[in-house]
Amino acid sequence: MAVLELKQVTKIYQKGDQQVHALRGVDLTIEKGEFLSIIGPSGSGKSTLLNITGCLDTPTSGRVIYNGKELGKMKEKGLSDYRKDNIAFIFQSYNLIPVLTVQENVELPLVIERKHSKKEMAAMALKIIELVGLKGMENRLPKEISGGQEQRVAIARALVKKPLVVLADEPTANLDSETAEDVIALMQKINLERQTTFVFSTHDPRMQKHARREIVLRDGAIVSDERK
Amino acid sequence: MHTIIKIAYRNLLRHKRRTILTGIVISFGLFLYIFMDSIMNGLDRGSMDNMINLSTSAVQIYTREYDADKESYPLKYGLQDLAGIEKTLCAHERVKSVTPRTRFLGELSNDEESMPVIGTVVDPQKDKTVFKLTDHLVGNYFSEENEREIILGKDLAREMNVEPGGFITMYALTSYETRNADDFKVVGLFNTTDPALNKSGVYITFRAANSFLDLENTVTELNVQLKHRINFDNLLDDMHDVQALVTKELPNLRASSFKELGAGILALVKGKKNWGAGMTFVFLLIAAVGIVNSVLMSVYERIREVGVLRAMGMGGKEITWMFMCEGIMIGFVGSLGGVVLGVASVFVLTTYGWPLDKIYGDMYIDTAGFPFWGTIYGEWNIPLIIGVFIFGMLTAFLASLPPARKAARMEVTQALRFV
Repeated sequence: MAVLELKQVTKIYQKGDQQVHALRGVDLTIEKGEFLSIIGPSGSGKSTLLNITGCLDTPTSGRVIYNGKELGKMKEKGLSDYRKDNIAFIFQSYNLIPVLTVQENVELPLVIERKHSKKEMAAMALKIIELVGLKGMENRLPKEISGGQEQRVAIARALVKKPLVVLADEPTANLDSETAEDVIALMQKINLERQTTFVFSTHDPRMQKHARREIVLRDGAIVSDERK
Repeated sequence: MHTIIKIAYRNLLRHKRRTILTGIVISFGLFLYIFMDSIMNGLDRGSMDNMINLSTSAVQIYTREYDADKESYPLKYGLQDLAGIEKTLCAHERVKSVTPRTRFLGELSNDEESMPVIGTVVDPQKDKTVFKLTDHLVGNYFSEENEREIILGKDLAREMNVEPGGFITMYALTSYETRNADDFKVVGLFNTTDPALNKSGVYITFRAANSFLDLENTVTELNVQLKHRINFDNLLDDMHDVQALVTKELPNLRASSFKELGAGILALVKGKKNWGAGMTFVFLLIAAVGIVNSVLMSVYERIREVGVLRAMGMGGKEITWMFMCEGIMIGFVGSLGGVVLGVASVFVLTTYGWPLDKIYGDMYIDTAGFPFWGTIYGEWNIPLIIGVFIFGMLTAFLASLPPARKAARMEVTQALRFV
């Protein structure tokens, strides 16, 4: 079943008098439970594709269909609401809220979602914190844990509301080899156990090795789409 | 909302130094305003109290004939049934004391030169219950005999080259309009805040005036002192009440209150209040700049954080509120600090005053009645203190709105890329 479909998606940025074609008619279908990596050189359109996939940006033309619902023409408010309910992000530099504890950071998407009681939110957060191996660190601030642990918190934060798709932008770029392997293993485990769809852009060969589908972008177009 | 407040609060604690500095700027601005307002009101009150306590009293009562011709200080329109008038006045609950006075025009002379003066005939003991001339006296007050004794202004004494213990000649028209001259012993000099009084005022007793002016105890005006009021407007109301009492109970007499006698200084005080409003604006502008600066810095430092929250689906309104909460919290703490400091300073000013004479020594400034000789006491202005707090909060709210909205309107993709 297709979770996400991009049909003839283009994105053109205006830089002064010049037009920059970031995406040129991209067609892409992502199925539920995929573990998909997007690779390509700098300026190939990876970030733009990820932004449009994550409803952070809108295409210049083409269609974006999530679970059968077309989002391409939605305004910011509608996209924001859709993101809130269905999409989660993992960032290269973790981007945890520095003044919130591990548990509060993990609870944050649920707080924004406003669908659960305080008690439910705490229970959901603690469960996922245990899943990512950070039990006992709930009350620590981001500055009190390591980079690898921060990324685990970011993963927990992304997964706590059981999103349709998790989008990760270079999730292992700031981690040492051992920690990166741990994080990849964790993402794979969750992908397999929960059938959560993961889409990540990466330059990291370790990450590419684990991807079950690899899309190569060049000059805003998909030049290769390989399932392993 | 709880999480938004929590994030805002913790961010303020995260940047303690900046928060404290901004809070201090706001507190200082508001404190300065409350303090200045108290001092200015204290100065105004001091000036008006001085005028009441030295020359006008709260209410003056005289005959209608005297009122029509009072610029020439005629001696022929004396008040009748003084005891009855005093009894009627003292029946009013706000009246503290009453004293008779008779003013006359005269001329002081030494062997070399002469100076025109405005003389005041007083009852030495009763006068002290209404006026505070003795507070400004150098030398002695009238003796028990008080025969041919005179007290005059320090500047006038300097001009006439006379000192306490010396003698001076005074000329004046008697009640029969014949010119008379007599020598008076200078027992004391006064140095008040009223330059005109210091330059041309002289005081003699009724006993001396009875022989010098053939006065026969003629009293041309009764001066009324009222009980103290913290708020000067209440005192003005009391004066109005006493005037109304005279109009009703003593219809043949005329009562003038400080509202008419001190119309000039009242207009000056009103003018200064407008200046005070301008001053408020400047102080609050300082506070507003502090808040805008603080919230803007907070926004720029946390652009990526804003991007993350927006990516998670947090709405623009919530982002705006998060930053506004920071501004409002700083505004609250700053305003509270300003009010606490302000109240403390006003408490000190009203309780202990500001002893200008100890700070500036024997400096004399011709300041149209400003009390530069003694201690300035502040005035409480509770509505202003409450208003300043509300205004501080309102300024914080309005000042944090533009940077907060700027944060909410940021493009998510731009915010996430921001380093």
